[in-house]
Amino acid sequence: MNSYLRLTYRNLRANLDFASLFFELIFPIFFIFVEGPGLGGVAGPVSVGNLTVSYSLYLAAGAVTLTVINGGTNAGTQLWYDRKNGMFEQLLMGPFSRAQYIFSIILATLIIGIAGSLIVFLIALPILGGGLQFSLEGIFFVGAALFLGTLLFGSFAIALSVVLRSSETFQIVSTFVFFVFLFTSSVFYPASKAPKPIQVISYGNPLTWTTDMFRAGLFHSFTPLLSLEVVTLAIVSAIVFGIAVLAFRRIRVQ
Amino acid sequence: MLLPDPAIYTAELSKRFGGKAAVDSVSFEVRRGEVFGFLGPNGAGKTTTIKMLTTLIPPSSGDASILGFDLHSQAKKIRERIGVVQQQDSFDQGLKVDTSLDIYGLLWDTPQEERRKRISELTERFGMEEYRRKPTVDLSAGQRRRLQVAREFMHDMDLLFLDEPTVGLDPIARRAVLNFFRDKVQKEGLTIFFTTHILEEAEYLCDRVAIINYGKIIQIDSPANLKRRFGSAKAVEFKLLEGTSDELARQIAGLDSVTKIAQDQETGSYRISTIKPEVIIPDLYRLSEKLGLKITSIYISETSLEDAFVSLVNNSTPEVSN
Repeated sequence: MNSYLRLTYRNLRANLDFASLFFELIFPIFFIFVEGPGLGGVAGPVSVGNLTVSYSLYLAAGAVTLTVINGGTNAGTQLWYDRKNGMFEQLLMGPFSRAQYIFSIILATLIIGIAGSLIVFLIALPILGGGLQFSLEGIFFVGAALFLGTLLFGSFAIALSVVLRSSETFQIVSTFVFFVFLFTSSVFYPASKAPKPIQVISYGNPLTWTTDMFRAGLFHSFTPLLSLEVVTLAIVSAIVFGIAVLAFRRIRVQ
Repeated sequence: MLLPDPAIYTAELSKRFGGKAAVDSVSFEVRRGEVFGFLGPNGAGKTTTIKMLTTLIPPSSGDASILGFDLHSQAKKIRERIGVVQQQDSFDQGLKVDTSLDIYGLLWDTPQEERRKRISELTERFGMEEYRRKPTVDLSAGQRRRLQVAREFMHDMDLLFLDEPTVGLDPIARRAVLNFFRDKVQKEGLTIFFTTHILEEAEYLCDRVAIINYGKIIQIDSPANLKRRFGSAKAVEFKLLEGTSDELARQIAGLDSVTKIAQDQETGSYRISTIKPEVIIPDLYRLSEKLGLKITSIYISETSLEDAFVSLVNNSTPEVSN
């Protein structure tokens, strides 16, 4: 078996905390089935490109992308556990290069992020089903959103776990940073309707780009801004991935 | 010019952290099929040397070849042929013992059938059968150490680095582990590079040992030679039927190879400190016979590798000596 696959399989088996994974799935499902319908009574319909959808449908689509950011934190956790448990050095004294190791973490993260999103998506079908419009273009946007979003947040978490060596600090900082990403994004509300300062932050938030791409793909409702979001997300993901690789390469073993 | 023959060859290998040399121009060879001990006090540079030789950290200067591969340019080829048991814990926290062994074997691309066979053999040899279904996070320190050592045998290798592999093991488990290493050397020609603070282990297992202090190797030799050359004087203890004889004590004290003779007031036995007990014993019998005295018991207390180690480390001036 290929070295990357062997390492990825090991990462998936050894470093995944199933309790956290369960929570990562429950969290968006809670929004989709409780929060969305609950707030649907007070929040009116919302525009997605040229379409107008109910708030619960809007939130359901956004909540699926929560698994992208949650899956991303797993990348940092994997690296952090390996360093804490001595497996980082052990693997680097084995038949692997640093590049193979870091790519295997990214690969495992992509699998977790994308698989998680698909599971949530399938569970959310009863709510999402009414608004779905399948097209090749839509599938491309959905796929690109899941892939680039997971890559970006996974890489970000890796860089964070390199810098933050204590478990407590990593957990606190990553939770705080991801809450900022989450609540200033278009997951819960459209950026265009938010007050100006929040709107500015939201338009610069990669989770907004990810969520907008995902929604556009699902509902087949594209805007000119969307192409810009795809390109920007791709570039920023590549840059953050580069930073993660550089940060990783600088990990010193004493 | 690097020699292809030895399992390990180093020439003036150094590692500096900041301005401080953790390992300072060490040069040595480890022959294939040899168990080579690397002994030194805490902070002497043992683990840093292992980390360099296993390609985990780059040397600051000097050359080395491992199994004929250049340390600087053929790191991956080296890693494919070595095994390492680190001093620190290393385990996959989300796995059970047998799954951990299986996945480690898979990482090394050991075929599935072979993995199954080895898991069964290793759990038995390392006494892990009782807890093979237990998650690694729930193991005691000693159980986890056994797993860490056993796991390394899930793949084939030519050279095994052991950095204090028996820390936390009880004496029974420790002996079983050492015997397992010895079997691997004798039956499969494995080469072992071994560090420990338990010098009886080094004496039991190693063909040769290097003693390192302040990053420099101060001596390399077989344990027997080190004991002979640097061990403290042996003692010959004897008792007389007559109890005491000042005249015998005086005459023994006058012998060339005797450094000291004293009588234990409680037991009444004499203790002669000497580096040549084989010379003293015939003289002792000759003199006692001449004085009409009868020796009722005689005993030689052996010097240990620990004696030699303590003496070398305490008196070491950092000079390379082979």
